[in-house]
Amino acid sequence: MYLVDRLLEAGDEVHGMCHSEHGATLLRARHPRAVAHVADLGDSPAIRALVDEVEPTRLFNLAGNTSVARSWEFPAEAADILGVGPIRLLEASWKLSQRTNRPVRMLQASSAEIFGDTTEAPQTEETVRLPVTPYGAAKEFAHEMAGVYRKRGMYVSTAILYNHESPRRPETFVARKIAVAVARIAAGLQETITLGNIEVHRDWGYAPDYVDAMIRIISHPMSGDFIVATGVSHTVREFVAEAFDVAGVSHWEDRVIIDPALYRPADPQTLVGDPSRLRSLGWEPSVSFRQLVRIMVTSELDRLRG
Amino acid sequence: MTETTPRKAIITGITGQDGSYLAELLLGKGYEVHGLIRRSSTFNTDRIDHIYQDPHVPHPRLFLHYSDLTDGSRLVTLLNEIQPHEVYNLAAQSHVRVSFDEPEYTGDVTGLGTIRLLEAIRALGLDTRFYQASSSEMFGATPPPQDENTPFYPRSPYGVAKLYSYWITRNYREAYGIFASNGVLFNHESPRRGDTFVTRKITRAVARIAAGQQTELFMGNLDSVRDWGYAPEYVEAMWLMLQHDTPGDFVVATNTAFTVKDFLQLSFEHAGLEWEKYVRFDERYLRPTEVDSLIGDASKARDVLGWTPTILTPRLAQIMVDADIKALELGGIRYVDSVQTQ
Repeated sequence: MYLVDRLLEAGDEVHGMCHSEHGATLLRARHPRAVAHVADLGDSPAIRALVDEVEPTRLFNLAGNTSVARSWEFPAEAADILGVGPIRLLEASWKLSQRTNRPVRMLQASSAEIFGDTTEAPQTEETVRLPVTPYGAAKEFAHEMAGVYRKRGMYVSTAILYNHESPRRPETFVARKIAVAVARIAAGLQETITLGNIEVHRDWGYAPDYVDAMIRIISHPMSGDFIVATGVSHTVREFVAEAFDVAGVSHWEDRVIIDPALYRPADPQTLVGDPSRLRSLGWEPSVSFRQLVRIMVTSELDRLRG
Repeated sequence: MTETTPRKAIITGITGQDGSYLAELLLGKGYEVHGLIRRSSTFNTDRIDHIYQDPHVPHPRLFLHYSDLTDGSRLVTLLNEIQPHEVYNLAAQSHVRVSFDEPEYTGDVTGLGTIRLLEAIRALGLDTRFYQASSSEMFGATPPPQDENTPFYPRSPYGVAKLYSYWITRNYREAYGIFASNGVLFNHESPRRGDTFVTRKITRAVARIAAGQQTELFMGNLDSVRDWGYAPEYVEAMWLMLQHDTPGDFVVATNTAFTVKDFLQLSFEHAGLEWEKYVRFDERYLRPTEVDSLIGDASKARDVLGWTPTILTPRLAQIMVDADIKALELGGIRYVDSVQTQ
């Protein structure tokens, strides 16, 4: 949604591909100037028809369920939508550019999860990838396929996105889950929050900054892979402590219950990206870790106060 | 008690080169073998007809089931019925050049087929051992020699799909403790290799040229470097992996390097011909992106599994040429090669 805002502001004609009629209705309500289409990333003919009809000059693929936890439950679905889905878009774009003799630029949203258990930190575009989750493996599938099409002569870039949060994040993601719970605890609406492994390190950025990065990447004359990260990592524990601090709740350890049932079968331990290549395109994160936590928690506190 | 229940194995891709040799190997070891085959309007079981028995004869040990790796629920049903001790996933859209024309289908079969199988094993809670046919094409542009620690750099939709299968196999081993091993096989050939693969294309042409039935052979890139082994030895490595105490990932290769041009020369020479007189260039056989050099270091398979290849590329070319000459002499009758030991 942040991306649609930015593209419309720039005067672009924006077409949104939604996988359900419900999603299309939401998009139309929020962005009357964008054109909403219903098509599923698993439906090859529908994608081909849509790409042929719209004839985009730029195509952003941000689609697919982004929950690692869900990918353990539905690994084949994750592979179909996150892995093969981008192939359908790449192939449709490649065929369109051959038919019209006009380049189509594509941006594939890759994920830091492709690095998985890599021992190198911070990670660069060259870091060896060792995905350890069905989500990471599916994302790596698409990442490598983008490389194959680039080598064939197509303009396709990947934005290797690290965790990026905002008040628009669903609550199934830990940062938003923490922000919501901490605000409710501060307001006296609940006593505790239950979390899984809080010792994992993550590189958290602010979603609007990452949208800005994607636009810079696809606007660059040369296609390639780009790490989109702040370069600084924090543990989930630090996020929790900071969130309670913002909300003015002391003795936060008493409010946190660790439930090993929430641990994942496998989880990357230290994901932190080196965004040097992206910085060379003039990008800088506008928000620090502390500011991000403040934005997230304050937004929930405001929501509770109505 | 002397009578024991036979071990049961499932082979996907049993109608392929590796599947047919593996079926022979397992039947020879007393296994009950279940092959999954795709329904097709034409029979595609040439490579296993010689070992197939009528299911009405007493105690058959080879069974064929219609199934497709794109149908996950069918896989669950079959695995549950068969309750295999070992599952060998050899099925794939395995042609690299074709994968550029059919990237989505390749992804669906060669990539997603693996997760459907693994998920069926996990969901059923089967105590089975899983072999995944990984490929040296996953290394792609990575400089040789390649071993188990070499980073991957696939250059084709086929290589990318195989890489996904490799990772998901490792994920299931590490996250769920499933006995799942990857055999990273370098090129392995035989008289049963598909006609469109470069080695077989060459040896078939040599036989036809020697018999005066053909005068020209059109080829693409002659400078690609490959490590070609003999397929029956490679299926032995697959079996060894599943008999080992612990699962893992193993490179299977000869650690020798030959160019396509070398293979041409070896094959033509064996029939007493000079290759330069017959070979013509055709750019249609070039791949959109080419993998330059694949040479595998199979030290781990040697040290851990005790596996060593004995038939190297020069002998392989001879075996294949001999078989194609014999097949031609038999005319329309299907020629079935037997496994060579030297």
